[in-house]
Amino acid sequence: MKSRSRSRLKLSEGYVHRHGAVLAVCTGFFLSLSLNLDLVSAAPPSLADRVIEHKLVNGLTVLMVERHQTPIVSINITFAVGGINEQVGQTGIAHFYEHMAFKGTRTVGTKDYEKEQPILDELALVGTELDHRQRELAIKSGGGTADEQAAVASLQERFAELQTQASHYVVGNELALLYQRHGGIGFNASTGKDLTRYTISLPANRLPLWAAVESDRMAHPVFREFYKERGVVMEERRLRNDDSPSGLLFETFTSAAFRAHGYGVPTIGWESDILSLTPAETEAFFKAHYVPNRATIALVGDFNSKDVIALIEQTFGKIPAAPPSFARMPVEPEQRGERRVEVEFDAEPALVIGYHKPGLGHPDDDVFEVIDAVLSEGHTSRLQRKLVRERRLAASVGSDANHPGVRAPNLFILTATPLAPHTTAELEAAMYEEVERLKQEPVSPKELERVINNLDADMVRALQSNSGLASQLAMYQALAGDWRYVLTLRDKVAAVTAADVQRVASQYFTKSNRTVGLLVKKSQGKTVAAVQGGEVAP
Amino acid sequence: MMNVKHGATLGLLAMLVAVPLTTACAGEAGLGDPRTMTFAPVEFLPPEPERVVFENGMVVYLLEDHELPLITLTATIKAGSWLDPAGKIGLAGLTGLVMRTGGGGDLSAEQVDEELEHFAGDISIGLGRQSGSASLDVLSKDFTRGLQIFAGLIRTPAFDPARVELAKLQAIEGIRRRQDNPGSVVGREFVKMLYGADHPTARESTIESVRRINRDDLAAFHRASLHPNGMILGVTGDFKKSDMLASLRDAFGDWAKGAVPQLTITDVPEGDAMIPAIRFVAKDTTQTHLRLGHLSIKENDADYVPVAIANDILGGSSFRSRLFNDVRTKRGLAYSVGSRLNAGMHDQGVWLMRAETKSVSTQEVIERFIVNIERMRSELVSDAELAEAKEAYVNSFIFSFSSPSAIVDRLVKLEYDGLPKNFLQQLRDKVVKLTKEDILAAAKKHLHPDRLKIIAVGSGKTIPGVLSTFGEVKEIRLQPEE
Repeated sequence: MKSRSRSRLKLSEGYVHRHGAVLAVCTGFFLSLSLNLDLVSAAPPSLADRVIEHKLVNGLTVLMVERHQTPIVSINITFAVGGINEQVGQTGIAHFYEHMAFKGTRTVGTKDYEKEQPILDELALVGTELDHRQRELAIKSGGGTADEQAAVASLQERFAELQTQASHYVVGNELALLYQRHGGIGFNASTGKDLTRYTISLPANRLPLWAAVESDRMAHPVFREFYKERGVVMEERRLRNDDSPSGLLFETFTSAAFRAHGYGVPTIGWESDILSLTPAETEAFFKAHYVPNRATIALVGDFNSKDVIALIEQTFGKIPAAPPSFARMPVEPEQRGERRVEVEFDAEPALVIGYHKPGLGHPDDDVFEVIDAVLSEGHTSRLQRKLVRERRLAASVGSDANHPGVRAPNLFILTATPLAPHTTAELEAAMYEEVERLKQEPVSPKELERVINNLDADMVRALQSNSGLASQLAMYQALAGDWRYVLTLRDKVAAVTAADVQRVASQYFTKSNRTVGLLVKKSQGKTVAAVQGGEVAP
Repeated sequence: MMNVKHGATLGLLAMLVAVPLTTACAGEAGLGDPRTMTFAPVEFLPPEPERVVFENGMVVYLLEDHELPLITLTATIKAGSWLDPAGKIGLAGLTGLVMRTGGGGDLSAEQVDEELEHFAGDISIGLGRQSGSASLDVLSKDFTRGLQIFAGLIRTPAFDPARVELAKLQAIEGIRRRQDNPGSVVGREFVKMLYGADHPTARESTIESVRRINRDDLAAFHRASLHPNGMILGVTGDFKKSDMLASLRDAFGDWAKGAVPQLTITDVPEGDAMIPAIRFVAKDTTQTHLRLGHLSIKENDADYVPVAIANDILGGSSFRSRLFNDVRTKRGLAYSVGSRLNAGMHDQGVWLMRAETKSVSTQEVIERFIVNIERMRSELVSDAELAEAKEAYVNSFIFSFSSPSAIVDRLVKLEYDGLPKNFLQQLRDKVVKLTKEDILAAAKKHLHPDRLKIIAVGSGKTIPGVLSTFGEVKEIRLQPEE
């Protein structure tokens, strides 16, 4: 079951955060709007009136909401760039660039950039050559000739020397340290299939520091500690995907559902791709995509908008726009039959079912938002009521209308874990019964009313947190090209009828359009638990 | 950041002064070097909530906030699983759960959910290890009805038998799934090593203990443990104080006082706490999940601030910390690495270091942990490290007062824990005065490499051998549950 306060356009799946401590869940709320006048009439001007918009000549979009209660500010920089922009063989590069963006610039993070630069340049060449030769040797019988092995050994030696030399110039994590010293909290970033996002909250009078740091980072990042960071990202991959039953299930399921489109690739990248990323490719990816004309900055807090505009013009305004990039992304071919995948794991079973559907902007997309809420939002939702409470088949149920991304055609997914002794097979059959019910019977007026009431309330709640609001504004701007998308979305969701739900369910929820992923217990056996007391064996 | 239970961060509070944005801008074109920028201290006088005590002993904190048409009410409840009888571990947790899901007042379970969700109201209730918490979150127009439903669930929960049965089945399924994730295994087994498997802070429900619990147990637990004089309410949002007090008196004023349970948790005998130990759990994973640490001080200890800042510099402050720089940034051996001081008021605190790393680098990571503790205990921290820790602490203090609900929640928590309402300000004053010598003395006194409890969850092929280089290793064997 999901909490009722949530974002309609969820970005949770496939999101990769920089810090282990923070789980990648978009706990966003809806933006507050003036649409329900009864609801917010007592309130001060609604969000629609409070957002101040400014566009720079270089294409950078700035959205601001002044809130003067406390002298703090939250800032969200969102690039309309993500895993979706990667090419075959370099998966994970968007997320990897996000890690590199924490390594500093030509001024921050270095003792002497003039001296550091030539070392980093040579390190990149040697490291790239070394990676290449090691990959070649790995597939040769006997590990290659003595000459080939000697060449690799020599490269390794030089590589180690250069890493040591480079390390003398590094001021470790200086960028983060600057923010921390000035009272910054929530310094983080995340990469998803559609978006890359950078966040910080600061005492409001530190905005000049933020502008200086972030404009420098947008213009002149320096890829320090590149090869060490590949190791960090590999550990992140192991933690989130390889050793996590749900992580591995979702990775496997999603890549089975998409055969051509980039949504099938895990945002963190395939292991062999992560280990082959080069500084040159990463630099090229940065230059092509992380440009002002693809960025939105949302600021919410205690400031004067005119001052902020002046500050941003003075700093970000100097960064040149980049030519538009024309990414070619394969169109996912129509699915012509059910696909089923299993993941074996030392864990209890789980189930995920996905149906292909259109992405943002398609009229049917709004209908899926209603279906999502009717199926799994709150205690009264259908899956919760039927499968968890009445039939007691499931320990947990859920759904998501936009997996693993929002912008492109994506999946409507249903998730569940069985309540023992019930099996995933029983649960799967019961889920299909609920799916069929959507086709056969109209949803009740009461269900539809509940969806919109909750949406309206969430819109008010969205204004409670500076960082939440900044996140929502930047997200919609980057995804839809206009943060006001949410205004129209609310009305579109309100206009969805019971007949729309029946039509859409019948059209998309078909056997041949679905992919089913199962988590299967690896060891044939029973659940294990540490025996209480005295069980410690030598 | 320093791990302070009463809010993540602390800061300076003084008179409210508007600081223009441009004060700190460098005079040259652009803004100049961000590393040398200076700013005026953050100055903010947060609003002061009102505290009222009803005749039946219920305490209420109120703070009006008219920005949005919302009201949030939270109740902090002196009840929790420290009260679970030995044979029925899980009783408090189930009681809290079914108070929410089992109906109450004059409403059935279904009616509660139907009505609440129709007007987008939210109620949550849970009883944790050392406190309980319940909250109501509604649009202000729905507050009156929301409060009626909330009070019904809190005062006269119905414990619908079907919902009790369902909660038990769900709890059992949760137990069956406990070993799925290595992170869950390492966390739970580590706490058992520190406190002992039967200690209130570490003990866990079992399928057997849950099966033994019935509806009458839940009702009896509620009757015995939940009383108005064991509850502190915090209310923020769009209301008038006088109206709110009248509504709350209507809802709770005629609820009679009762015998509130004592919250006392016994300490682990010092002899047990001092013994080092190494444990291993075999799980088929690519990474080793590591925890190393020992029991530590409580939050009101005279040494709390120097220990907390020592921990902050060692591994508590993410990017800024030594462990993050050494293990992650310089060596690339972990994604998530650091140390933590978890100090509360009711049980002994814990100080620990943690990381997940691929099997082959397990030895190196443990060695780095030990080298870094020894360094904290043998050398003064640098002037820069101390200055950075202090600046981060003082400048982020404002975020402890970032919203009316943050302000009220903090006062409620301090009162629950028996701490003075200016406790954070006291800590902050101590931080400002702290010296390098204070930190070294605290590290020597409170970080004990010779008392480390070490646990690793990972590959059974290699990890026991690695661990044995640090001492005698015993395996915790995960056994079939049923």
